[in-house]
Amino acid sequence: MSTESPAIEIRDLVRRYGRTDAVNGLSMTIQPGRCYGFFGRNGAGKTTTIKCLLNLLRPSAGQVRVFGLDPAKQEVAVKSRIAYVPDQVGFYPWMTVREALQYAASFRSRWNTDTERLLLDRFRLPLGHKTSHLSKGQRTQLALIGAICPEPDMLVLDEPTSGLDPIVRREFIQTVIGAYQEGAPGTRTVFVSTHLISEFEGLIDDFTIIDNGRDVLTLDADTARARYRKIYARFPSPPVGLALEGARLLHQHGREFQFVVNGNADAVKARLAAHSPEVMETESLTLEEIFVSTLQTSGATA
Amino acid sequence: MVFELNYKSAKPVYLQLVDQVKASVASGAARSGDPLPSIRPLAEELRVNRNTVAKAYTELENQGVIETLAGKGCFITNQPSPLRKEARLKLVTQELDDAVIAAFHLQIDRAEFLRLAGDRFESFTKRRDRALQD
Repeated sequence: MSTESPAIEIRDLVRRYGRTDAVNGLSMTIQPGRCYGFFGRNGAGKTTTIKCLLNLLRPSAGQVRVFGLDPAKQEVAVKSRIAYVPDQVGFYPWMTVREALQYAASFRSRWNTDTERLLLDRFRLPLGHKTSHLSKGQRTQLALIGAICPEPDMLVLDEPTSGLDPIVRREFIQTVIGAYQEGAPGTRTVFVSTHLISEFEGLIDDFTIIDNGRDVLTLDADTARARYRKIYARFPSPPVGLALEGARLLHQHGREFQFVVNGNADAVKARLAAHSPEVMETESLTLEEIFVSTLQTSGATA
Repeated sequence: MVFELNYKSAKPVYLQLVDQVKASVASGAARSGDPLPSIRPLAEELRVNRNTVAKAYTELENQGVIETLAGKGCFITNQPSPLRKEARLKLVTQELDDAVIAAFHLQIDRAEFLRLAGDRFESFTKRRDRALQD
C-alpha cells in the first residue's frame, strides 16, 4: 500500500438537519487514481456527504478528510485540488459563456486553455451567449469545462447527468474519461454520485451504496459482478423440498425459478442441480441490479 | 477490431478486452503488425475507465500478444510466448480441465469430447488461413 493520503476518507460521518439524520454513521475511503461511484436513492444522504467534503456543511459528528486535509480548517488547500460539478449548475446570468469561463479561471492557479478550446469545440457552446440562455445540458457542459480545465486532482460529480438527454450524457462521460483522466493517467480521481448507475458502469472501479445515511455495501466493481449472480432454473415439475438458504428468490412461476446469490453461486447451483433442472443459466448482476438487490434486501431487514 | 463488453459477465472488464484481442488473433481477424486502437479513443468509445484499457494492454503485452512501440502505439505481434513449454502446457491444462468438467456434467464422453476439440482447433486454423488469403 502506498503511504499517500486517501483522496477521500470519511469516518463515522453524521450530519443532522434539525432532528433528521441526513447522514448517520457513513464511512468510506477513496484511493487516489480511482473512479469511485457513490450510489444511493434520492434522499439517501449523497449530496449532504459531498457538501461536507467541500465545507459547504459542517459535520455534526465524525471525520472527513480530503487528501489528508480537513476541509473545515484547510478549505482553500482542499478546494484548490478538487473541482465540483453539482446537479443544479448555477452561473451569474448576465455573464456570457466566455466571461463565465474567465471568471472560473480567475480562481485557479492553473487553467488548460487547450482543453478549454477542445471542449468548447466538442460541445459547440456559443461563447457569446448569456449563460441564462443556455439549456440545462449546455449549462452542465459549461460546468464540466470549468471543472476540467484547472486540472484538479479530483473531480467530484453530484448527479451530473440527471435530466440530460442521452447524447449529452454520453459526451459527458466520454469527456471525463478522455479530457480529464487521460491528462494524468492513474492519478486523477473521480468521485461520482449518481443513481443513473448503468451509464457509469464502465467507469466505476469501486463503489459504495448509501442508504438512510449509512454505507450498506462497498466493493470493487469486478468483484461485485463476480459475486452477485442471477440463477435461472427450470425443472420438469415443481421440485419438492428445494433448500433455498443463501439464495434470494426473485421469481417463481410454477416450475421456473430465479434466484440472486452473493458469493455462493456454486453451492446454490449444486443444490439446484440435485433436483435435475431442465435448464439452468447463470449471469452476473450489473452494478445497477446489485444496487437494487442490495436495497431490497436491506429494506427487508430494516 | 470491434470490442463488446458485457456487464452481465462475471469476467472482469479488462479480461474481456484481453480475451477479445486474443480471440481476434487466434481467428485471424487481427494479424501480426495490426495496430490496436489507442487507449484514450477506445476508452471513450466503450465508455470505460481509461485505466481498464491500460490494464488490458499491459496484460496483453505481458502475455506477448501485443507490443508497444514508443510513440507509435500498440501492435499485434507474432513473437513466440516467452514462457517455457511446461509453463505453457500447464496454462492450457487449466483451461482444458474446465472443459472436461463441463463435459462430464453434460454427459459428453471422451470420444465426443476429443472430436469436438479437434473440430474447434480446425475451425480456428481455417479461419486464420481464410483471413490470410483475403
